[in-house]
Amino acid sequence: MANSQEKITVYNLADLKNTSDDAIPNYLNSLKFTPSHRLTDVRLALGYSAFALAAACFLWDYKFGFESTKTYTAAAVAVYTALNTFLTFWILYIEKGTIYQGTSPDGQSKIRISSSVKKHVPIYHLTVEAETATKDGMRKEKVVLKQPFTDWFDASGRFVAAPFQTMLATGIPVVGRFDAKRVAASSEGTTAYTPEMLDALASAEVATGTESKKTKRRKA
Amino acid sequence: MLSGLGNPRQAAAQLMNFGLILSTAFMMWKGLSVITDSPSPIVVVLSGSMEPAFQRGDLLLLWNRNVLSETSVGEVVVYNVKDKDIPIVHRVVRKFGTGPDAKLLTKGDNNLSDDTELYARGQDYLVRKDIIGSVVGYLPFVGYVTILLSEHPWLKTVMLGIMGLVVVLQRE
Amino acid sequence: MYSSLVRIQNTFGFFTTVAFVVAAFIAASDFITPRAPVVNTLKTTNLQVVRGRPHYYSSKKEEYAIIKFTLDADLSSLFTWNTKQLFVYVTAEWPSSSSSSASQNATTNQAVIWDTIITAPSSDHLANLGPASLKKLKKSAAGKSIDPSRGKLSLKNQRPKYQITHPSGKMASTEDVTLRLHYNVQPWVGILSWNQNVDYGRWKKLAGGLSKKFALPALKKQDEKKKA
Repeated sequence: MANSQEKITVYNLADLKNTSDDAIPNYLNSLKFTPSHRLTDVRLALGYSAFALAAACFLWDYKFGFESTKTYTAAAVAVYTALNTFLTFWILYIEKGTIYQGTSPDGQSKIRISSSVKKHVPIYHLTVEAETATKDGMRKEKVVLKQPFTDWFDASGRFVAAPFQTMLATGIPVVGRFDAKRVAASSEGTTAYTPEMLDALASAEVATGTESKKTKRRKA
Repeated sequence: MLSGLGNPRQAAAQLMNFGLILSTAFMMWKGLSVITDSPSPIVVVLSGSMEPAFQRGDLLLLWNRNVLSETSVGEVVVYNVKDKDIPIVHRVVRKFGTGPDAKLLTKGDNNLSDDTELYARGQDYLVRKDIIGSVVGYLPFVGYVTILLSEHPWLKTVMLGIMGLVVVLQRE
Repeated sequence: MYSSLVRIQNTFGFFTTVAFVVAAFIAASDFITPRAPVVNTLKTTNLQVVRGRPHYYSSKKEEYAIIKFTLDADLSSLFTWNTKQLFVYVTAEWPSSSSSSASQNATTNQAVIWDTIITAPSSDHLANLGPASLKKLKKSAAGKSIDPSRGKLSLKNQRPKYQITHPSGKMASTEDVTLRLHYNVQPWVGILSWNQNVDYGRWKKLAGGLSKKFALPALKKQDEKKKA
């Protein structure tokens, strides 16, 4: 995605979170994870059917007036309220900020990542739930990661992929299994990044094309 | 931030959010219509004929159900006259008879004469179904925006444009 | 650009929220303010029924009634900080002639014969008056934001503002007519309220306010000649 090359306002927490959220599917898909869009698809179906209902209501109200259609309008309002309530319920209690759902390349693990931020606190919260099929049945693990955004955004608001991906690979065992290089990189003791290193990483990223970006970076 | 537009699902979600804001506003309006049984439960005062009670730009909340009693003298009603687009807000000053066929005469508090001349040709009185609601609630000045919008139509385009841009470009 | 837009949005949003909450509190304050309106006297002093044109724009001659009355009322408790104006009106009410059975005492005819707008000092500038009387009105409440004394009404042998008619064209000898005083409190923000027949919490019903039943006289022939 063009995300990593685009500068964002570092004071805008929503931007920081959105850019980071977008980077996770990119990274995991590049590791050959298979994404599942079930949650999003249900949300879209709910939202668009509610919108279609409102549009229909608008049309019959416009064409036939209020008096002759008010029973239908009352029903439409009730159904719309129900759909919207369910949509809110879905977003708050089912999706719970889920930004990625998928299956590992070997098909053994299912992973679900949700993110959140607290107002005015520039710390990225990730909750990762993974289910791995083993001989003894399903093994569940839950990892909670908390990292300041400053770890993967430079002062000018550029997203730097390497520390971000290292954070994911080391923090989430299921991801680590498929990206040994990132795990290794962190075990060499280079968890702290100097500004020079970040600049170097950033310029390397700009220099490489979008297509080959992922592989090149992992070599670095 | 147009980042989302690269991904069809994200683009669809962003478009949906914009659509849902519009449709929710519309359905809230319709819900209020259903509850109050009035095609237009909130109206903006356009003339000074009810001054000093209502001035131009004031917002009125209407109620169009006769739960406890019939619409009677002294109530301020909003009514439509055949072949006239703009509803009128005036007070009922006379009522002859009861039920849906009762004859009602209205007058603006600030007008010297009653509304006979405002009615359609040959019409001397209103009946209940000409009325789209009685005023029950009052909020001053808030509706002035709509007067500005109707007097300067280009403002509408500008406002819709800005609203659309903000919602499409912003992801929360 | 982005963050300043967000800030403007947030500021405006916060401003509207605060404004609406304050407005809601002001509107709610009406309900805890006691109201005890009283009508001491409401009676007719002179009755006439005339045949002629009740208005300059009337197309046909019809019978109309001129009801003079005396009113003494104290509506001062209706003036609070949220009162914009008080609309006071007197109606004549009578049952329909066709359903004159005693069992049906529902009022089927109702017409305003007199009304007045009493502005609160805070809305004096909106009153539809000439410059001189407006100045006088403003002076009467100088320094006061609420002036309950304006709610004290005392009218003697008041001429009606409106000559009342009936769609049938007949008014003479109508029986069981009563006068009733009503009021409508117009707030600066909130719910409009009218006189009540029962107590609602701190709002007492209007005491009095109904005149004795009377009958309109027969058509007065000479009067028509004088007026026409």
